[in-house]
Amino acid sequence: MPALIAAIANLKGGVGKSTTTVMLADGLAHYYGMNVLVIDLDPQANSSQMLLTERGVQDASDQGKGVHHVLASFMAGKPPSAAPFIMPNAVTLEELRRAEEQDERQGWISSLPSHPQLRMRELGLEEEWYSGSGTPTSLADALAKFFREAFEPLLPLYDIILLDCPPHLSPLARAGLSIADAFITPTIADSVSTWGTKQFSEWVGKFVTPDLAQRNFVLITRFRDTKYARSIASDLREIYLKDRWFGPTIPESVHVLNAMDRAAPDSYDTFRGKYAGVTGDVRRLAERFTDFMTQRTGATWAKVRD
Amino acid sequence: MGEGPGLTPVEYLDRFFDELRTEVRSNPKLAARLVKALGGNVVFEDEAKAEVANPYALAAGPKAKFLSVFGAMKLGDIKKVLKENNLATRVDMNGKSASDLVEMMYSRAAMKVQERKSSAF
Repeated sequence: MPALIAAIANLKGGVGKSTTTVMLADGLAHYYGMNVLVIDLDPQANSSQMLLTERGVQDASDQGKGVHHVLASFMAGKPPSAAPFIMPNAVTLEELRRAEEQDERQGWISSLPSHPQLRMRELGLEEEWYSGSGTPTSLADALAKFFREAFEPLLPLYDIILLDCPPHLSPLARAGLSIADAFITPTIADSVSTWGTKQFSEWVGKFVTPDLAQRNFVLITRFRDTKYARSIASDLREIYLKDRWFGPTIPESVHVLNAMDRAAPDSYDTFRGKYAGVTGDVRRLAERFTDFMTQRTGATWAKVRD
Repeated sequence: MGEGPGLTPVEYLDRFFDELRTEVRSNPKLAARLVKALGGNVVFEDEAKAEVANPYALAAGPKAKFLSVFGAMKLGDIKKVLKENNLATRVDMNGKSASDLVEMMYSRAAMKVQERKSSAF
């Protein structure tokens, strides 16, 4: 079955998009043995840094890997292709590394990373495109076509492709959203994030897919257990987004911060060592999202690890 | 000042400094903050050193200074510094000697400082 493409997106910044991307990649690869490709479309490169470290992101770029190199290929008019720009190993988990070493791979994570240069590359592309008769929409459409054709040969190789999207609607971000089969929306239980979720839903519902509700997996992140937060979370589930599929609530936790700070490109940790006090939350996230994938695609996945 | 048990100013201040001394003895992190605020140059020893030594700050300076602080530490204290500063996981530390771990601490801390410190400063 070809990979499902899921965009992790919200127009509100700071809601945990990159952290959710990494947790989900780890959870699906570890518990379900899925082959995961993480594509980072955000020039902040946060999920790339969490998987590869800062040095790893730079090394990848120096080796010609990354979304900014894909954009350069698009700008040069080359045939659509993504495979040469992918880092085949973005695994941080000892269990996955050890299984690979023993030739018994069960679950893997690859990365098409971002880099801060992506912002400059996007600006250059936009300058060039708009100097003719191009518009933001025509650029987004052209990029989406290029991506569809570039990723098509990769779909049979992966179980899921996670697109970590930036908190804005650049042509690149719009292209990412338009090739997605599903939309993961992390949000915080506060009033401004709730409003941001409305903006995102309305835009995607109008310009990308009218059946967003069936394709949307919502995750309340960075949850602090207060009366106020409980009330907002309840309103999100019962009123504002009651037609969506909800994942587990992810707590605000120092364990999450630590889990996202990889010591070095050659540093590995066990799943429990990495996620410590939020191990159960990441497991539930993987379980719930796998249920969502089954509902979307009809395919089922069995756990390969407890 | 004249209210209460009728202590002199010196007796009042003695009470304050006694409390401060007691806290500083049991709380090396506070001691390090106070020393830093006063601009002093003092030496922390043994377990206190593991509590207060900042591998990132030391890796930003000469390696010899870094080694003089961490090279003298016991294996358990080195592991504690590595773990508490997110410089190594248990998996990374497994089976490594104290000198291997100090070298790992230096290379990883120096790499992070290099990647994170703005070139404008």
